[in-house]
Amino acid sequence: MKRFSLTLVVLMLLLAPSLGSANPNGVGSGTFDAQCGGACHGDADMNRSSTATVVVNAPDVAYEGLLTSVSVTVSDIETTTTGLLGFFLLSDLSGASDTPADAGWTIVSNSEGGTENYVEAVIASGQTQHTVHWTLRAPPVGLASLHAAIHHGSQDGSDAPFFGASSGPATIDVREVPEDLPRLAANFEPTVRRNVGESTTMTVATEHVNQVTVEWKVSSGEVNTATVTSVGENTWSFALPASLQPVQIEWRAHLEGEGPDQTTPWFQLQSEEPSWSVDENAAYVQSVAMLLVFMVAFLSLQRRSSAPSKNFDPFDSTEDEEVA
Amino acid sequence: MVSAPTLHVVTTEIAVGSFAMAGFAFLVAGLASHGWFGLKRHLQLADHVAHFALAFGLLALPFAIMTGIQSSPGEGLDHPLLINKMLLGSSAFGLAFGVLLARRNHGASIWSSHLGRRWQALGGMGAVGMVLLTASLGGTFARGESLLSWMPVSFDTVPLMPLWFSAGLVLVALVNMGLMRKQSST
Repeated sequence: MKRFSLTLVVLMLLLAPSLGSANPNGVGSGTFDAQCGGACHGDADMNRSSTATVVVNAPDVAYEGLLTSVSVTVSDIETTTTGLLGFFLLSDLSGASDTPADAGWTIVSNSEGGTENYVEAVIASGQTQHTVHWTLRAPPVGLASLHAAIHHGSQDGSDAPFFGASSGPATIDVREVPEDLPRLAANFEPTVRRNVGESTTMTVATEHVNQVTVEWKVSSGEVNTATVTSVGENTWSFALPASLQPVQIEWRAHLEGEGPDQTTPWFQLQSEEPSWSVDENAAYVQSVAMLLVFMVAFLSLQRRSSAPSKNFDPFDSTEDEEVA
Repeated sequence: MVSAPTLHVVTTEIAVGSFAMAGFAFLVAGLASHGWFGLKRHLQLADHVAHFALAFGLLALPFAIMTGIQSSPGEGLDHPLLINKMLLGSSAFGLAFGVLLARRNHGASIWSSHLGRRWQALGGMGAVGMVLLTASLGGTFARGESLLSWMPVSFDTVPLMPLWFSAGLVLVALVNMGLMRKQSST
């Protein structure tokens, strides 16, 4: 009983770090409140203040249900051991129910190739500024605010979590959509990820649009024009070229119709190496099988081979001659 | 607060250090049991050190695995190296456990048998080698290099068996184990 208690105490001590400390290797992208709901850091009281500057950039006006682009720029980035910097896009800084979705926004894509409000970027040593873009569908009519926050570690090896937030929110006036405004269809969901080596044919549904032109670029690169073909009423198609390595392509559409011309936000399309997956159940069962097979096979082997030699005392130190 | 990666380094060092000592002791025990190089008089010492270090390494291994899982990025088995690490680690664990059980069942007389002493030394060294290779895969996964990177073996492919075949192997092993126990008791 005493031995069991000791083992239990040691086990609890070993498991405790994951409950009480930061995650220096990050937690990956996800939909998180400002304090990650405990997922990023065990206790908000552990947070220290980041010296980085966080700024949210958003348009002054957006149309209800239509797409708009928001970016978060962090400057004066502190160098950290892992280089990981977590970006949050939030509807407020209360720490609970403060994701954009809680305020009626819908995230369509982010520049890291996902659809989450929290993304992790790897910052190279010496890099002092980084920007993450989100494309969102606007909430119902009214004044909407968006905040940004960051989480990161330190370079002193203490694994202490640092937290920073934008000094003020970006305020967006969400208006009703003018009746004849050329726009993307309300149900349009752009593709945000693809595999390296695959070209992408994007089909775009629109409303009140007579003509579409599409521009695309590799991030921060030269802007190219894609050939757009009409594939039906208010439906358009264009192709984006395949990439040879993991890279991000951005594209946007110019929409012309009877109403005032509109330009969509830049949409991000991230190409990645094909993900690797395996049947985990088969792997776990094989693991158990190999453990048992090796153990039993060795025991069987020794059972057959361990008939002791009568003339040989293994621990007789006076017997030093070669015995086999 | 000590983070999981730091604890992983500590537990891995304990496990790998123990296994390294066990491996060397098994080599000495194997040579001594044959009376080679005048090592016969060290057999008892090497035997005790080898099995104790192996047992201690096996005790430390689960903690190394747990902290390793806690400190690894991402979720689940999403890389061939991780699967191979798990398969190699469990094989090593099984072999090492078999070596210890064989020593417990047969006692010191295991070194008296002509074949038994060879299998015991080779089994111990094999288990240690597999554990060291497993640990080396962790270095390859985390840093892209390890001390054993020179080996002409690629762990980028996973020799995964069908689920039914693995389940069949588990069944055969369990039946075998039961039969061995039954024969021992009669």
